[in-house]
Amino acid sequence: MQLNRVGIGLIAFFGLAGAAFAVAPILIGVPGEVAGILAMVGVIWVLVAAGLAWYARRQKRKAAHQDWIFQQGIRGTATVLYAGSHSTVNEMPLMSLRLDLEVPGAGTREVERREIMPVFAASRMEPGLTLPAYVNPEDPDDFILVW
Amino acid sequence: MPDLQASYGELAAARGLERLPGFDPGPLTPLLSEANGASLQPALRGRLGDGVDGVVGHLAYKRNKTFRFNVALTEVPVATAFAPRVFCVRRGRVTRDDEFYGFGARHSKLWTESTVLNERYAVTTSPYQDPIWLRRLFSPGFIDWLRTAEPADFSFELAYGAVLGSVEEDDPGADGLAALCDATAHVATRIREECEE
Repeated sequence: MQLNRVGIGLIAFFGLAGAAFAVAPILIGVPGEVAGILAMVGVIWVLVAAGLAWYARRQKRKAAHQDWIFQQGIRGTATVLYAGSHSTVNEMPLMSLRLDLEVPGAGTREVERREIMPVFAASRMEPGLTLPAYVNPEDPDDFILVW
Repeated sequence: MPDLQASYGELAAARGLERLPGFDPGPLTPLLSEANGASLQPALRGRLGDGVDGVVGHLAYKRNKTFRFNVALTEVPVATAFAPRVFCVRRGRVTRDDEFYGFGARHSKLWTESTVLNERYAVTTSPYQDPIWLRRLFSPGFIDWLRTAEPADFSFELAYGAVLGSVEEDDPGADGLAALCDATAHVATRIREECEE
């Protein structure tokens, strides 16, 4: 996942509007109780913005790490043993996959992975399907699945 | 749509294709997934081009308006191990983008290495698609063919071995449908060749 324009807008909106709610009533001399309520709303909004920014940063790091595995990792294959979904995220199935991960020189091991996939991809995740995979040479549990 | 029926009838007669009462391809590719279970109607099955069998049919589905495509579907199952997804879609065609809410899932990556190809198509792949294999698939000869390929509104989607060629014209006529079959067969053959390399 990566932050898109809507995400940047959300962070900016909650951050700036929250800060304005928190500070402006005090600066313009709004009565104490109302200023307190607005300040509380403002602080909550700023916390929401901070949470979103933290999540975006974490996703960016994860993407950078995956890019590194793609560049430096060992190419192998992942064969689907089981695929199922019990929930969706924005109309896309959250797939639970059990895979046979085969890496040249490191043998085969069973691993699990969860991925949010569009319907057309999710519907093709059936036992026996073999996909490319890239494995961290220092940690065989760390891999990216090319689906 | 009587003209459309006539076009498919003419194509069936010219190429010896079998008429189907309808064909439900399932959500094999993004376009078919957009159609949300709509079946191909009319539909013909048989030889699309040299050594390539498949189904050609009319796809109509309704969202905020009715979208109509004519599609040709075939399979290159071996492609999944090399390139799970490659979409080469005519620029300007309206498709749903894959961003949602504030955090867009990176389900696809734009492939922009060929300027010539990118003038006509938006090419997207899996985010971690092997770029070397992709460069070999889109050889200069294949790019040149795609650049000038008929029909003019041709696009193709490769998803998990399913190859779907499509045109946006409501009724391209028997010649246009034949061109769609030929173009899809050409793409499938090119993908198969590259997989066998």
